Amino acid sequence: MEQVWFKSDLAEEIIKNNDIFDQTKSIVTDILSGRLQVTTLVENMGGVLTNKEIDNRERGMRFFTKILSEIPKDFLTEMQIKFVSKFYIDRLKDNHKVIPTVLEGYLYIVDMTNYNVQFSGEYFTVLFREVACQSQVRQDRYNIYLTILKLLERDAEYMKTLGPDFVYGVISAMDGERDPRNLLFLFNFLPNFLEKIPLGHLVEEMFEVISCYYPIDFHPSPNDPAPVARDDLANALSPCLCAIPEFAEHCLLLLIEKLDSSLRVAKIDSLVLLTKSCNTFKAESYVPFLKALWSSLNREISHKSDEVLKLAAHESLSALVAKLSTIANTDQSFENFIKGILISLQTAIAESTTVAQFVQATKVLLTAANASKESCEIITKAMIPAILAFYEFKTAPKLQIASLEFLGDMYELAQHWDLLEQIEKQVNEIPQLCLTAVNERTKEYQVVGFRTLIRVKNALKIDLVVPFVEILTYNIQHSEDDELLGISVETVHAIARKYPELVMEFVVKGKCDVQNLIQDKIALQKRLNLLSSLASIDDFTKIIIEEMLKVITSSNEEASKVIKALSSSLSNSSLYSNDKVAQIESDHGLIDSVLTWLDSEILTAKEPLEHGYSLISNTISSLPTEKQLNILSKHTTKLLEKCSVNEIHFQMLECLYRSIRQNVYNEHFEEILSLALKLALNSDKELVRLKSCYLIAHFLNKAENGQKFELMYELLKNYLSSCNRDDLNICPKLIFLYGWITKALVMRGSYLFQFWLKKIFISISNPECSLQGSDAIKIIMTDFPDCLNTKHHCRTSLLYRQRMFQNFTKMSENVVLTPEAKEAYVLSWAYILEKTPKTILNNEVNKIVPLAIDGLEYDNKDLILVMIDILIHFVQAKNISIAQSLQTILPRIINLTTYVKSMDVRIKSLQCLYEIANSYDTRLLLPYKQDILIDLAPSLDDKKRLVRNMAVKARTRWFLVGSPGENKEA
Amino acid sequence: MTKTADNVNPHVYEKGSEREITATERDEDVLDEIDEREVFDLIRNINDPEHPLTLEELHVVEEQNVFIDNKDNLVRVYFTPTIPHCSMATLIGLSIRVQLLRALPSRFKVTVEVSEGTHVSEHAVNKQLADKERVAAALENNNLVQIINQCVANS
Repeated sequence: MEQVWFKSDLAEEIIKNNDIFDQTKSIVTDILSGRLQVTTLVENMGGVLTNKEIDNRERGMRFFTKILSEIPKDFLTEMQIKFVSKFYIDRLKDNHKVIPTVLEGYLYIVDMTNYNVQFSGEYFTVLFREVACQSQVRQDRYNIYLTILKLLERDAEYMKTLGPDFVYGVISAMDGERDPRNLLFLFNFLPNFLEKIPLGHLVEEMFEVISCYYPIDFHPSPNDPAPVARDDLANALSPCLCAIPEFAEHCLLLLIEKLDSSLRVAKIDSLVLLTKSCNTFKAESYVPFLKALWSSLNREISHKSDEVLKLAAHESLSALVAKLSTIANTDQSFENFIKGILISLQTAIAESTTVAQFVQATKVLLTAANASKESCEIITKAMIPAILAFYEFKTAPKLQIASLEFLGDMYELAQHWDLLEQIEKQVNEIPQLCLTAVNERTKEYQVVGFRTLIRVKNALKIDLVVPFVEILTYNIQHSEDDELLGISVETVHAIARKYPELVMEFVVKGKCDVQNLIQDKIALQKRLNLLSSLASIDDFTKIIIEEMLKVITSSNEEASKVIKALSSSLSNSSLYSNDKVAQIESDHGLIDSVLTWLDSEILTAKEPLEHGYSLISNTISSLPTEKQLNILSKHTTKLLEKCSVNEIHFQMLECLYRSIRQNVYNEHFEEILSLALKLALNSDKELVRLKSCYLIAHFLNKAENGQKFELMYELLKNYLSSCNRDDLNICPKLIFLYGWITKALVMRGSYLFQFWLKKIFISISNPECSLQGSDAIKIIMTDFPDCLNTKHHCRTSLLYRQRMFQNFTKMSENVVLTPEAKEAYVLSWAYILEKTPKTILNNEVNKIVPLAIDGLEYDNKDLILVMIDILIHFVQAKNISIAQSLQTILPRIINLTTYVKSMDVRIKSLQCLYEIANSYDTRLLLPYKQDILIDLAPSLDDKKRLVRNMAVKARTRWFLVGSPGENKEA
Repeated sequence: MTKTADNVNPHVYEKGSEREITATERDEDVLDEIDEREVFDLIRNINDPEHPLTLEELHVVEEQNVFIDNKDNLVRVYFTPTIPHCSMATLIGLSIRVQLLRALPSRFKVTVEVSEGTHVSEHAVNKQLADKERVAAALENNNLVQIINQCVANS
């Protein structure tokens, strides 16, 4: 049977039958296959489209619109579209009930590929004449805006030719829009529109329509499932207000007015707008408003407590200064503006009595100076002399210190803008002031004086070097304060880079008397520290290192001090690069000398020679592969022989092999590994056992994948399976070694670690060696400075702690433990939890919280501390499962506030109570409030002050729970 | 409703540094006595009811005006209103008192008074602050408690 849409009965069918709307798909298929012409279809629909009843016409239009929406976009020809478009435009004149479907239909037409943009002129003319946009419902208004947007994107050039009538139409269409979603759409689309379509005489009208929303004061309805946020609207609106330069005058007037408003959001929005406007407006447009702008900005910038506002004001000032500086050469107003700023802030600085006020003012100047080269020049030229005078005039120490820091800041800005030549005269005064400061001989002045000097070191003139060096060398030899010592060495270093000859003469040969290094025993270590730091500068390397090595090779009693100084300096990579260390080694034979010294000392030394070992391993670490191999082959055989005589020599062997690169391999490796295994389990010297474990771990970690690794792993397994497990003495050592093996493997990223971890886990559940098991876990989780670091060219898988956490979690499922083993088990957990990243823990809250609560029961300080820390972390995240178990947690923590053995436990538990009061809902806390206040009273009289401080913090916080004036976020 | 402050532009002083933690304080076995500085630390960060400033910054409380006697369990604090006719004097005194009540061990008897000669109605204020029942009554007043809590919240 022929379908109804091939006949003129279709009209009747549409009026009577709702089901016909479901059949549009079939109609479209027929049209596509060519069985039905669009014109025929329209003819068949004639009855309904021209029906006298409004509702029927609406149905007709709706039906046709539905078909349009389903026809592929590229199917209709331009002629057909023209015909349909004409028809729709005509329908705009129809009854208001018909309009929505017309608007929707036209949207589909506009989308069609063959749509000619020329048709739109007529559409808009009729639309703006016949349809009052704001009388439509939200969706229809949106369709109108969307049509405009689509056509603008399609052909902006044509839209321009539509002229002022079109612009006027758009303005009146959106005038009075109130729906937040539509507004958001409009605000996003308007900047684009404004850039493309010239407004002509309608600038003011357009600005009026947009600016009436400013500043946005909007609160979404609480029932809205997807509310539009105020900030989204505000962020979208500001680009509209400053979209085109023509808006400048209106916009600036508006924002100055709103800056004076008492509403905080109005101020912030205005500041943001000012910042953004600098991207589009011309610099000249700001000139008439500068005075008003500065007075408003100055007021907001000096706001006492509102940091957000202050920051916004700083950003605006920076943008404004940068913008104005573009007309610095043509217009006087830029200079006047900066001078105005200078005058207000100089007054503020002169009147400041506290550091806070001073810093506030100087920060503004720095912001302005940071914004452009021109402003920086004016400001530094004026301010450097002013601050120099201020320093002399103000006697408050804190202000003087702040002035020095400010001078350093200005110098760095001038350097950044490459202005140092222009302001040379001013800058040259700064070092003199630093000298005045360090002459004060108090720590605060000296530290800031030296620090500033380091910043301005390039301005240091030769005549000031000697006075500085006098003070510095005095400090280095006599000061007891670590910070001052550190900064003094750093300063000498900085001066030495600029004036090597002078420092050579006065420091190296003069005060430190390098040729007779150890004549003067007083403060020798400090002098050595300075010298070893200076040795990193090329001019000094030779003379200093040579003298030092002389001391070392002569086996002088002070040699250990020299070694210590060298070791700590050489490991500082900011002083010594790898190349530099390699160069020292090849020029002076550092390792040979140190090895000789170690050899002579090792049997007689009362203290371990750690500095010597780490000096060697650090030096080796910096060398390229080949040199490492050379050094190893030179010494290994001899050292192995010595080891067989006395195992203490193993330490020397270990430090040679500790930091080799991953691709270094020689024929001794297996022998050394066997030796290490033997010593790790049998040596009676603890240090030798530890070093053996280090070396085994390093070998396992670094061995190349494939044959070399497998060989080594086999050797290890064979050795361990052959050794006697029944020997009770060996058991702890074995577990200790397991810890290191596991660590090496898991850091390598090898899955083999699970095998060893399981062994450790078994030992934890065995009461006889459970403590050693938990110690092994601690080894795995802790970082060691001289083992398994990237410095030693080890593999350090980033996620190894997570992997440990996951595996341990898996193993501990369904575990049954005796009460004796339980403590070690919880302690192992503590070691793991302590080092696992907190974000991982968040996924496993339900497992961890019970563990943490259990942990509080044991009388073990480390365990309790870790567990409380974890509880605090969850409390701060307002975790629900803790909230539900407050009844269990609170009494235990209260108990710990009087834990006698450790004040840290007391402090942590009090902090936990504070965090609980601070984080959870009042209604959860109120039932406990009175009891806790009473329970906390004894802690106020704790014998340790630090505990009392935390007790006060916790107790006063609990007093506020649920009482008026408590300031808690909902 | 908004009342302009009595002293619109008070002189602001420098904040003192935090107490440094000494080695003896980290030592488990040494007993740290409560000293003047510690009591001062309890009240220095109380906010002024009129300004977003602390009592320390306004020099309303100073370390030298705090006295403590550990043997007889006495604490005495003198405070100095910024101007002699300050209407907030009682409120400030009450805030200090409340904070000390909450933060000091109960063995201490606490006295809070206006420094001599710094306020026009010095005696009346001192009498109010010394009267336990009036203090207790004041703390029944929700509005008052709210203001006090806001003042001491950050200390």
